[in-house]
Amino acid sequence: MKKKMSWIALVSVMTLMASLLAACGGSGGTGASKEPDGNASGAATTLRFATWDTGDALKIEQEIAKKFEESHPGTKVQVEAYADGFDQKLAAGFGAANPPDVMYMWDFPTYHQSLEPLDDYASKDKDLNIDDFYQGLFNYGKMDNKLYGIPAGFTTRVVYYNKKMFDDAGLAYPSDGWTWGEFQEMAQKLTDKSKKQYGFGVRAENDTYDLQGFVWSNGGSFISEDGTTIEGYMNSKETAEAIQMLGDMLKNGSAVLTGGKGQQSGEDIFKAGKIAMWESGIWPLESFRDAGIDVGTVEMPAFPGKPLKGVLAESALSIAKDSKNKDLAWEFIKYYVSDEAIKMRVADLPVRVSVVNELKKDQDPLYKPYYTMLERSDNTPAFLLNPKWNEVNRQLSAAVESIMFGSDAGEVLNQAVKDSERYLK
Amino acid sequence: MAHTDMTYSQQQTAAPKRLGIKRWGGAVPYLFIFPWIFGFLVFTLGPLLFSLIISFFDWPIVGQVTFVGIDNYVEMFSNDPLFWKSLFVTLKFAALFVPLNIIVALGLAMLLNQNVKGSAFFRTAFYLPSVISGVALAMIWSWVYSGDYGILNYFLSLVGIEGPDWLNDTKWSLVAMVIASLWGQGSMMLIFLAGLKGIPKDLYESASMDGAGKIRQFFNVTIPMITPTLLFNLITSIIAAFQQLTLALLLTGGGPLKSTYFYAMYMYENAFKYFKMGYSAANAWFMFLIVLTLTFLVFKSSEAWVFYEGEMKTKKEKAKPKRAKRGPQASREGSSI
Amino acid sequence: MKKVTTYTLLILCSLLFIAPLFWAVTTALKSQQELYLFPPKWFPSVWRFSNFAEAWSIQPFNLFMKNTLIVTLLSTLGQLVSCTLVAYGFARFQFKGRDGLFLIVLATMMIPWEVTMIPQYMEFNYLGWINTLKPLIVPSWFGSAYFIFLLRQFIMTLPKELDEAATIDGAGRMTVLLRIIVPLMGPSLILVAVFHMMSCWNDYLGPLIFLNDQTKYTLTLGLSQFKGMHGVDMQSIMAITCLISIPPLAVFFFAQRYIVGGIATTGIKG
Repeated sequence: MKKKMSWIALVSVMTLMASLLAACGGSGGTGASKEPDGNASGAATTLRFATWDTGDALKIEQEIAKKFEESHPGTKVQVEAYADGFDQKLAAGFGAANPPDVMYMWDFPTYHQSLEPLDDYASKDKDLNIDDFYQGLFNYGKMDNKLYGIPAGFTTRVVYYNKKMFDDAGLAYPSDGWTWGEFQEMAQKLTDKSKKQYGFGVRAENDTYDLQGFVWSNGGSFISEDGTTIEGYMNSKETAEAIQMLGDMLKNGSAVLTGGKGQQSGEDIFKAGKIAMWESGIWPLESFRDAGIDVGTVEMPAFPGKPLKGVLAESALSIAKDSKNKDLAWEFIKYYVSDEAIKMRVADLPVRVSVVNELKKDQDPLYKPYYTMLERSDNTPAFLLNPKWNEVNRQLSAAVESIMFGSDAGEVLNQAVKDSERYLK
Repeated sequence: MAHTDMTYSQQQTAAPKRLGIKRWGGAVPYLFIFPWIFGFLVFTLGPLLFSLIISFFDWPIVGQVTFVGIDNYVEMFSNDPLFWKSLFVTLKFAALFVPLNIIVALGLAMLLNQNVKGSAFFRTAFYLPSVISGVALAMIWSWVYSGDYGILNYFLSLVGIEGPDWLNDTKWSLVAMVIASLWGQGSMMLIFLAGLKGIPKDLYESASMDGAGKIRQFFNVTIPMITPTLLFNLITSIIAAFQQLTLALLLTGGGPLKSTYFYAMYMYENAFKYFKMGYSAANAWFMFLIVLTLTFLVFKSSEAWVFYEGEMKTKKEKAKPKRAKRGPQASREGSSI
Repeated sequence: MKKVTTYTLLILCSLLFIAPLFWAVTTALKSQQELYLFPPKWFPSVWRFSNFAEAWSIQPFNLFMKNTLIVTLLSTLGQLVSCTLVAYGFARFQFKGRDGLFLIVLATMMIPWEVTMIPQYMEFNYLGWINTLKPLIVPSWFGSAYFIFLLRQFIMTLPKELDEAATIDGAGRMTVLLRIIVPLMGPSLILVAVFHMMSCWNDYLGPLIFLNDQTKYTLTLGLSQFKGMHGVDMQSIMAITCLISIPPLAVFFFAQRYIVGGIATTGIKG
């Protein structure tokens, strides 16, 4: 008897589990934007918008989404904040043909095959007022002459400096038009090892993308303009010199090596008032001010006698090819880059000339360098020139890292070129 | 020496006749393990086979999928220095981490097993790092290890040692990772502690009556009695060592100069930084085979050094009257993993 | 003398484990300006307890907490039921293919999650489970290798006479399991529950991949929202970390004595 009872128990547990699974499976649809709760009416269209932003920037984006919902009844914008896991989420989404409708995008070479070309939308839709954008920005969203992303924000790279440390050292603040020679001289004077204080911080793991500004300014580049050749470019004297300069500053002690990804970063040490100058985009500006640092910005130094060049990091908005709400997605993008929304997004540098003029952003000494650097950012970055750049970049990154750890730039770059050749065949 | 007696007898155990099994036509055991079988088929085997299939393809996340045969495997073994580098780093890490992890966890467990006051507090303290999420853990360690501004070097400087820039020094970075990983030994310590508490006191008493000192008691009573626990912790440690990813990803990014570039990280980057899903799947299958082989070897060896009391007891009683009765069932029992 | 050494060692070791967390707490309490000072300030000049409340309200953490609780409780329940059954099956029966199957159980522990992630995502997508909590709960009802292994190791140490005696009395295997084995397994079941709760509570990759909408997020996903592509809100991370560590710590504190004390008092040994 007992035996029978326990059998019933066992079997019923199994059945329960099986039916649980079946029930869960059955209730689900295949709709990507399915909303299992709420939305009792079921009439609302959900637009999925993926962003990598966090904190205040994310809050603002949620505000924008709300505003858009108000002006588009029957629409729900689902802001999906992927933060640091952005690439992983997108990979999973695209891999399973379940991507968000609208997403932030910068890595067009990787994703463009899954994105909707936007040329038609952009040229037909007068409301976009495409001429009002900084035109250089569009180059970064194009692959094979098709436009895959509408610029939403950008940053160029500048030098941040700690005014108090300059005052303490009795140095004048740096000003536009300075050279790397002057930069290094200042860095020397600002360094005081006994106080663990340094003139400049150099990242242990540089993004080679960011280094392109240095390299171009010295007349070098990583790859030929037609994107086919690295021999004689990546290992040219000019390229090697520009990167070697960073390694040398570490060697002569005027700069400190700052940690890789998750470590105490250069930004953290800058906030501690222990490094006087730091090179970066607009991202840390807010947090420098929050930490109570009296911070100034200045355009990048030039190599003597050579024109200063900058590199641009753009964030654009794209639509997934698989999206079922492309027209609505376009409406959202259009709103996102409208005057109204741009003004809400205070952490981003405005992409419209009219807004910049209206807000006088380019007159503000703290913001001006970003715009002067923008004028100098007319080179095309390597990753847009060759579809195999990812592979080459793996070799290049390793080489750059070893330069920071004391290797000779000429040597390791030659080796990197040799190791990369097979990917370019 | 009661324990040595057990050692030998364990392998010769004659399993007692099972009752009430045959009548159910042998289906009962499968019903018990049915949940796992079902879950395995649905949630594991399918995805796993799928990953085996894609390992024979050039499979970018977006774009054209092409069949490439065994090219991914050939590339991995013959053309990719990073593959060998990361494999070597992982083996080095495992060689340091696995024994240390077990020693530390067992050491702490034995400290806690001494009838101390406030043991609840100490146990919780030792387990504390295990409840902290990875993001915060990495931040804490970056603060500890920083060269100029780190707390570890601050303390070292108090005793006159100038510490290295831990995470930016190829000689120390892997050691730093091992130490940081040891910090999360809480679960293992707890499992050991449970095992230690299960050792009957009379075994120690009779051992000390036999004239065994503390050290001999440790090797002759404690260690043999916790071998099932030890086996469990050894295997999970090996697996953990090979799958170590979070810390590398969040703390060093594999650097400096790839000195902490673990195999799991290599795999991860191939998948999510370079979007070579096919290649990454090939990497994964290779690692899977390595760990499987290692585990298999440990298991094979465990027949010689792991003692299950459930079987020992049965044996003790059965074997005393009749020495070592062997049967077809017994040999199967003996090979039980 | 021996006691003194033991306590000294214990206290030193626990300092090693607690010290960095001390920093987490004080960081959470500091003002923005004090965060990055060097040499570091051990204590904040003003104890800003309001930081906790602020960090908690930056995002809907109450909602995240609710989601996390649902996932943790339901999946823990699933693990307990399924792993007990399966572990008992492996520990106490002989059947064709048992050892091979058990090796497969162990082998599943070695599968790196990155490999099965995309296919699993596709599968859950097909079932319509993406952006629901189901992918985080349902698989737990079918056992996890680690716990099956753990429980199997434990059951193997229980004398087999217990089962046999009960079977002779006419009890079925299920009754044996429920009446005889499960009561003895108390400590190890608590151990499984605690371990699973911890890993569930702190799971990051699973929720990251399977959840899209912020209203479905779990605590760790909320926490990771403080870490963006270009900058980290360290203070909020530390504040939230401290807060969300309290429930698992409390659970552990109350459970640990049953885990380590229980086995010794079940009276089955010696």
